[in-house]
Amino acid sequence: MTQSPDLKGRVLAAVGNVPAPTRSQTLRARAWLFACGVVGALAIFFIKGGLRMTSRPPSLVVLTSLGTAVIVGTGMAVLLTRGRDMRGRPWTALVAAALLATAGFLAWKFGVSALYGLTERWPDRPGFRCLRLSVAMGALPLCAALLSWRRTRSITPLATGAAFGAGAGLGSTVLVDLWCPVAYLPHLLIGHVLPIVVLALLGGVLGSRLLAFQRR
Amino acid sequence: MTGDEAMAAYARGDARAFEIVYDAVAPRLEGYLRKHVREAARVDDIIQQTFLQMHVSRGSFIPGAEVLPWAFAIAKHLMIDAQRKTRREEPHDFNDEGDTHARTMSSRAASGEDEAVARQARERMAVAYERLSPPQREALDLRTQGHSCAKAATALGTTPMGIKLRWRRALLALRAALREDDGSSDSIPPAKGRS
Repeated sequence: MTQSPDLKGRVLAAVGNVPAPTRSQTLRARAWLFACGVVGALAIFFIKGGLRMTSRPPSLVVLTSLGTAVIVGTGMAVLLTRGRDMRGRPWTALVAAALLATAGFLAWKFGVSALYGLTERWPDRPGFRCLRLSVAMGALPLCAALLSWRRTRSITPLATGAAFGAGAGLGSTVLVDLWCPVAYLPHLLIGHVLPIVVLALLGGVLGSRLLAFQRR
Repeated sequence: MTGDEAMAAYARGDARAFEIVYDAVAPRLEGYLRKHVREAARVDDIIQQTFLQMHVSRGSFIPGAEVLPWAFAIAKHLMIDAQRKTRREEPHDFNDEGDTHARTMSSRAASGEDEAVARQARERMAVAYERLSPPQREALDLRTQGHSCAKAATALGTTPMGIKLRWRRALLALRAALREDDGSSDSIPPAKGRS
């Protein structure tokens, strides 16, 4: 083993020449960016009309929204954090979290609406408006998450980007659930589940470009 | 202070802690890399890049996380990346200014005259490229990608004159490699410093 003092000197000198934010600076920047993303998503939500009760009883809205928030929040906590390991979570855990949270949300929304007998088809609502709204609302937190991670390169950029996308997609389902009264299963699949897949793919593509290592 | 604690301190802004991180991580990293990478210069390059990545990402370090698995994961990633880059660059060498000889050989091979000689020339070029020091390789890469000396100097943290010197030495080394078994080095244009 030859530990070169010359190499140590070179490394320390190189490190001294490259500015790097401390943990508190990074957390502050991330909090700002994430807040901007969430505010942007909320702005789109309110521009589009905000909470819409339509024919839904208030108890149904409260039940579906709270349940969705808990299920989706758990999924997002796994997808958007790395636990105690700097290498991040294994991709199997990320995929499992995304699938379980999506399936859990779908089952909850459809199940609770079925109890109220409100799962009928809405012929003029195939789900494309919900799809567009979900993608638009999820894209802002996704961009914020990717930008906040851009300086700190990830070891698994594709999986990290896809996890961010799925997390942002899950987050947008909470807002869309408040906006959309339809609980017809094909509508839920197109308008509420497909955006999570779209955002996960978008996150994977953007993540592999923005978060990948670059030689310095 | 352990390496993990030192990294956490460094993430908080304690600049002196990085030396402790280096002392804790570098020997094990070097041992690991030496098993997988033959050239000492490349090992040094990967170690330097690993520590630079750790430094740049210090703001995202999770207090209580282990620094060693993280450093190994970065080093492994960089090692694979370097191996891929080397494989990609082998055919790219024929675009270099000093590769006229190899191109001539290739054209001869294409006409069926001397395929074996052309292959040997390519192999000698690849070996000579591998033997260049990392700074020379970086300077050569940037110059052959069309970057000016000034731009390359900014990217590598040196002066334009330094880039010219590295680039020229790299070209001379490549030319010498081609001259080893063959006396036809006249076909290679002399390396000129361009700014």
